[in-house]
Amino acid sequence: MTEIPERLKKQAQWQKSRRDLSWPEKVRLAEAIRDSLESLRRSRSGANAPRQVRRS
Amino acid sequence: MRELARLLNDMQAAGVIENYAVFGAMAQMRYTEAVATLDADVLVAVASPERMDVLAEVYEFCARRGFRAEGEAIRVGAWPVQFVPVFSPLTREAMEQADTADFEGIPLRVVRADHLAVIALSVGRAKDYARILALLESLSVTRDEIARLAARHGLSEAWRRFEARFADD
Repeated sequence: MTEIPERLKKQAQWQKSRRDLSWPEKVRLAEAIRDSLESLRRSRSGANAPRQVRRS
Repeated sequence: MRELARLLNDMQAAGVIENYAVFGAMAQMRYTEAVATLDADVLVAVASPERMDVLAEVYEFCARRGFRAEGEAIRVGAWPVQFVPVFSPLTREAMEQADTADFEGIPLRVVRADHLAVIALSVGRAKDYARILALLESLSVTRDEIARLAARHGLSEAWRRFEARFADD
């Protein structure tokens, strides 16, 4: 439990460092986030696709 | 985005649009940390607003430059871009009073944080409220600034409700 304040402090520093990136850097980060989300969405829709039943 | 900045500046220089400013999530990122978004939104004042299809000249200009439609957007480099004609006194003011930022050496007009917050307030979806909170947390706008701008655009009640729900200490 004692490590929680330290972790929160580190998280706040990490958030601040992301906010301090330049605008173009943040746009590039958003591009990477978008590509990851689209890739995840594609892989999920593939995994949820109905299985083909092979008829013998 | 550099490609988009060049395209918008050229479009304005050619007289296809009178003015423009990036808004929405892409503009928000100038003030807060990066956020997930699927596209870039641009407010535009078109030169011929009386046309039935007000964005026809914008799309034609993009097509001549080799940028193609992708659903309701135009793909410019890495981003689908939604061109949104100014649709209220608030959005017109936001576009006209936008900052000119330097995007890797290219000027790019971007809506100010206070206008972004009040546009979000006027739209009022969950993600718009999250945008207001992110802008406040980044200290790029104050509650007083939002209150004043909201009052000028008849949104005092919406701001009061927002404060009661999300921002009261």
